[in-house]
Amino acid sequence: MFSKKMVMIIGVIVLIAVNIIILSVSNRYYQSYGPGRIAISLIAPFQEAVSRSIRFVKDIWVHYFFLVETAKENDIYKKSLSHAVEKDNLHKELKLSNNRLRSLLNFQKSITNKVIAAEVIGKDSSPWFNTIMIDKGKDDGVKKGAAVVIPEGIVGQVAEVSTNYSKVLLIIDHNSAVDALVQRTRARGIIKGSSSDRCLFKYVLRKKSVVVGDTVVSSGLDGVFLKGLPVGQVSGVIRPNSGIFQEVSVTPYVDFEKLEEVLVVLNPRKDKFQSKQ
Amino acid sequence: MTYCFHVGICICLVLFQTTVMPYFNIFNGFYDLLSPFVIYLSLSHSLRQSIPVILFFGFVMDSLSGGPFGLYLTTYVWLYVGVRWMVTFLHVGDSFLLPFVVAAGVLLQNCIFIGTIAMFKPGTQFLSAAISTVTVQVLWAIFTGPIFLMFFNYSHNRLNRWRKKVFVKEN
Repeated sequence: MFSKKMVMIIGVIVLIAVNIIILSVSNRYYQSYGPGRIAISLIAPFQEAVSRSIRFVKDIWVHYFFLVETAKENDIYKKSLSHAVEKDNLHKELKLSNNRLRSLLNFQKSITNKVIAAEVIGKDSSPWFNTIMIDKGKDDGVKKGAAVVIPEGIVGQVAEVSTNYSKVLLIIDHNSAVDALVQRTRARGIIKGSSSDRCLFKYVLRKKSVVVGDTVVSSGLDGVFLKGLPVGQVSGVIRPNSGIFQEVSVTPYVDFEKLEEVLVVLNPRKDKFQSKQ
Repeated sequence: MTYCFHVGICICLVLFQTTVMPYFNIFNGFYDLLSPFVIYLSLSHSLRQSIPVILFFGFVMDSLSGGPFGLYLTTYVWLYVGVRWMVTFLHVGDSFLLPFVVAAGVLLQNCIFIGTIAMFKPGTQFLSAAISTVTVQVLWAIFTGPIFLMFFNYSHNRLNRWRKKVFVKEN
């Protein structure tokens, strides 16, 4: 009735179906007992032995052989690191000292006059005025109108002097005025304080070239500040259609918020000039 | 003696793949080492010599694994049947075909596994992971399967020679 091939195919299909049913039943209802436990009991001790052996070998490898290499490498790295740290410290010190010396050298070149260092002991409490108090006064040789500077740039000028203290008018104050010029084009003007932390560079002729980023330095013509002291950087230029001047704003190099020490120029160039005369 | 040899080899394979291989990341995507052994049995040994070993180690693997009980048993039995059937029309002894036979066996085993999971755990999303796993296993099987088959064959021949020597001396 059925060929051999047909019987075989039917047999395979039946076997597959039976297999699926068995798997399904075992998946739902099988719980490990008896023979399953025996199989585990048979194999598990071997697994434990092998695992322990592997762990033992691995431990030896990791904690001994590998560690020896690691220790050697570690020694080399430590030596290298200590050398590097030493060099780094040396470089840092050299860099700092170099910066200080350069700064002093440059500053000394620019200031040939006698200066005295003063500490900022107070700041104006009013937001409308920008003055500071320093711990040097008349007894220290400070005079009214003396220039106050730091290596970064001009701070201001002494507005009042007492025996041991002085009040310094900052260049960002409304009442301050510094004769200055643009370093690149020599365009001249007056640095005036404004309400913000910026200054206005007033009376700069419209025909003069001033661009953002230009450095503004003191001209020395006001008789207070020495020529060439940095004031700030041009941060904005407005060239109106009419008028003979352009509106230039300058951001001072000095960070007045972090001002702690200043230098007071005791004998301005004016005196020298007069003495020469 | 042959049974002892088969059992010994299977124990070594089970131990190797359950204890040694997990320590090596390179074997993460490796196939079941008992598959080539089942193929070896179906190619080189009689039904009487093979079936008890296959059933026993199918049972052992089912006991050790977390899958539905009988899955390994099913896999090994169908793998054995499939290769025996293949032998009837393919000259599988040819070493050129060996990699593909092992790869086909591994593929069959994976298909049974995936089918079982899909059947009993509907909604399982494992398509991309399954493709990647099967691909890696098949590639491993192509390159290393014949080595295992040759090793089993070589070991068995050595054992037979040693046994003959021993029995000849005794006689």
